[in-house]
Amino acid sequence: MGWVLAIPALPAIAFAVLVALPRRIRNTLLWVPVSAISIAALLSIGAFVRVLPGGAGIVVWQFHWPLARIGGHLLELGMQLGPISAVMLLTVSFVAACVEIYSLGYMHRDERVGWYFAVLSLFTSAMLTLVLADNLLLLFAMWELMGLCSYLLIGFWFELEAPRKASQKAFLTTRVGDLGLLFALFVIFKQTGTFAMTPVLASVGHWAPGVAVAAATGLLLGAMGKSAQVPLHVWLPDAMAGPTPASALIHAATMVAAGVYLIARTMPIFVAAPPVLHATLIVGAVTALLGGLLAAVQHDVKKVLAYSTISQLGLMFMALGAANVVAALFHLVTHAFFKSLLFLGAGVIIHAARTQDMREMGGLRKHLPVTTATFAIGSLALAGVPPLSGFFSKDGVIAALLEAHQYWAVATVFLVSLFTAFYMTRLYFRVFEGPEQIEHLHEGHASMIYPMTALAAVTCVLGAASVAFAVFLGREGEWPTLGLVLASLAVAGTGIGTGWWVYGRRSVVVNTRVYKERVPGLYGVLQQKFYFDLVYETVIVKPYMALTEALAAFDLRGIDGVVNAVARGWVVMSALSWRFDSSVIDGAVNGVASIARDSGKRVRRLQSGRLQTYQRLVLSAVVLLVLVLVVYVVVKGV
Amino acid sequence: MPDTVSSIAFGLFATLCVGGAIGMLVSKNVVHAAFWLLEVSVATAGIFFLLHADYVALVQLLVYSVAVAVLMLFTIMITLRRIEDAIRPRDFSAIAAVVGLVFGGMMLFLLSRYTWHPKSAVFAADIASIGRQLFSLRLWALPFEIASVLLTAALVGAVWWAREDDR
Amino acid sequence: MHVGVGAFLMLGAVLFSLGIYGALSKRATVQVLMSLELMAIAININLIALARFQTPRTMDGLFFALFTMVDSAAEVGLGLALMLAIFRRTDSSEVTTLDELKG
Repeated sequence: MGWVLAIPALPAIAFAVLVALPRRIRNTLLWVPVSAISIAALLSIGAFVRVLPGGAGIVVWQFHWPLARIGGHLLELGMQLGPISAVMLLTVSFVAACVEIYSLGYMHRDERVGWYFAVLSLFTSAMLTLVLADNLLLLFAMWELMGLCSYLLIGFWFELEAPRKASQKAFLTTRVGDLGLLFALFVIFKQTGTFAMTPVLASVGHWAPGVAVAAATGLLLGAMGKSAQVPLHVWLPDAMAGPTPASALIHAATMVAAGVYLIARTMPIFVAAPPVLHATLIVGAVTALLGGLLAAVQHDVKKVLAYSTISQLGLMFMALGAANVVAALFHLVTHAFFKSLLFLGAGVIIHAARTQDMREMGGLRKHLPVTTATFAIGSLALAGVPPLSGFFSKDGVIAALLEAHQYWAVATVFLVSLFTAFYMTRLYFRVFEGPEQIEHLHEGHASMIYPMTALAAVTCVLGAASVAFAVFLGREGEWPTLGLVLASLAVAGTGIGTGWWVYGRRSVVVNTRVYKERVPGLYGVLQQKFYFDLVYETVIVKPYMALTEALAAFDLRGIDGVVNAVARGWVVMSALSWRFDSSVIDGAVNGVASIARDSGKRVRRLQSGRLQTYQRLVLSAVVLLVLVLVVYVVVKGV
Repeated sequence: MPDTVSSIAFGLFATLCVGGAIGMLVSKNVVHAAFWLLEVSVATAGIFFLLHADYVALVQLLVYSVAVAVLMLFTIMITLRRIEDAIRPRDFSAIAAVVGLVFGGMMLFLLSRYTWHPKSAVFAADIASIGRQLFSLRLWALPFEIASVLLTAALVGAVWWAREDDR
Repeated sequence: MHVGVGAFLMLGAVLFSLGIYGALSKRATVQVLMSLELMAIAININLIALARFQTPRTMDGLFFALFTMVDSAAEVGLGLALMLAIFRRTDSSEVTTLDELKG
């Protein structure tokens, strides 16, 4: 079963190969990462088959690789293959394969396409490793690695300002959550003395009181950052500045789902901490509502999808809040497929319309039929229309909440579904129907169409697997009840109907200014995205930037000042030493010469050549001698 | 009484000597200085008379007062182009003053401290006895002859040096 | 008689000192020569005085004085002749003109 390792290893090798090569060669080797992920996808099918028929807590394969021994603890790489991992492997590798094939068409004209594929491969490898991980440290490492890849991919077009700022924002915001995750790891290690997940999860029951709460809180924070839950959601809409296929993979299907996966995997800890579980539910609810509301007022196609993702992730969190891993994961899987489909479709739309603003689009259906069809399928799935997969997974969430008797949460989900249906209808009609505003529209390449078709196909049929999915994961599954079916239909219908009524009936471009003027306050709040960005900017970002500038100034003036002062000191010293040398040393040397010369000059005056000078000399000497003699005699005599 | 007279005489002649010497040094006019020298030499002759050395006094008068002083005056006249050239500044030299003062002071000091024991023999400084001793071979004949040679040499030398160049 | 040797000798000393001053300080050649003569006169006074008081029988100092007189006369004559010669050569009657040993 060691071949399971190849699943994450192949994309990693593809990355290693690409990254080592110069750009020109790299750009020609795109078949390497694509084949790597395709093979990994096939192997994932194999792994899935091996895990069948599944069941709770089944472990089909394990892998341990000791890395180091620190103190008394063994540090090792631990991986295992169970039902959850198998499902995730399949989802991630399949969606990643579709995205990479799509990227061949979408990105082929970009001069750094090789690097794009390299980072994409690295990311995929990290995600695949993460879902196989049985060791919290390994999970954390992959977590961070994915954060890095996200940063690189969002900021792929770093020449522009928006991607640069967005990638920083994403990285920093998720960092806040990552601190929580790290804290949780510390708590867990302190309690259990190991990072291996299986023993940790098994021992939860024996933990000291409060430890589970602490650990679960940290885990929740980490998940909130990665999965863009309120209030750490602000990075996801901005992350749309990256290439669309990357958004499809990372910010719709996989990376943002990692938070959900984390909580799902560590559910025993959460179960042991009911307050945190409840908090998860509330967080999910708030996020779902906020996402839904804001998606309805976005003009950028990708931003609509981004907020929609936030909203759907909120739903997954709500399911987790009801301690229902199966429902959350099923919705995660279906969402991965139809959301990535929607994103890829958006890529085609944007590519064709050369704009991202849906107010400038219209009538694309005539020119992009396949895209329209697949996009419609994805939209309906998102809106929860049966028999598409989205309906089944959303129903699963509702059922989970009902089971947990969280009726208010159920109402929230219905409200969110209403919004979802509304804004997707809005999006559809704005883009595909109505008068054409753009010329020269054309359908996407084959490399873009086929993956979308594949994803749409999955979206259509995946719903049928909802019960099997539950059983696979070790739970009893049931089909949605008739009541739920009708309620969902009603909600979706209402949403779609409203959307159609506002946006679909006209044959001219819809101007919704009238509506906006009726509710200026509400609209203003929505426009400002509930002021999250504004508050963060004012309270956190601006003071922090001021601090960094102050520190930079300190560095410049202080440290550089010291360095420069030392340098100036050297210059002064060398000048002084030069002066010393020239004046003192040379002065001494010259002085000696001067003394010799001047004293010579003075003494030379004796040699005046004049008679009287010599006479004076002689007589003075004589008189002096005599005087000495006289004084001597006189003194002696006395 | 002879003491008093000799004292007065000495005082007079001494004053004349010193005064004349100072006059000679202080005078701005070279011609005047020469005359002052003349005066000193005459006063000295007086001193010699006081010392009962009559012959020497006369020789002094002849040699210094007449020959030397006159010779000097003649030379001054020759080297003088204009009368104004005779006027010169006083030419003070500190070293010279110091040397002179120290020397003079020293001598005066020593002389004043010394107690003299004069011999009181007869001082026969008359011409006859001087002549007799001057020509006696045992006494001063040789130096006399040498002095003559000296004078001759000086004479020849002076004539040589003083002749005109354009010969 | 009351005037002792000392007085004459002191007179001689004074005159000699004055002569030294003149010989060392005057610039005109004649004046230097005159000062030298003054010194010679002072010497003679000393000699005669000492001869008179210390060696009256042999009168050594007296003869000495006679010979110094001869000597200084010769010296003056020669000196003046030289002065003339120099004057004709350098057109100056100062002692300072002859300084070729300078430096």
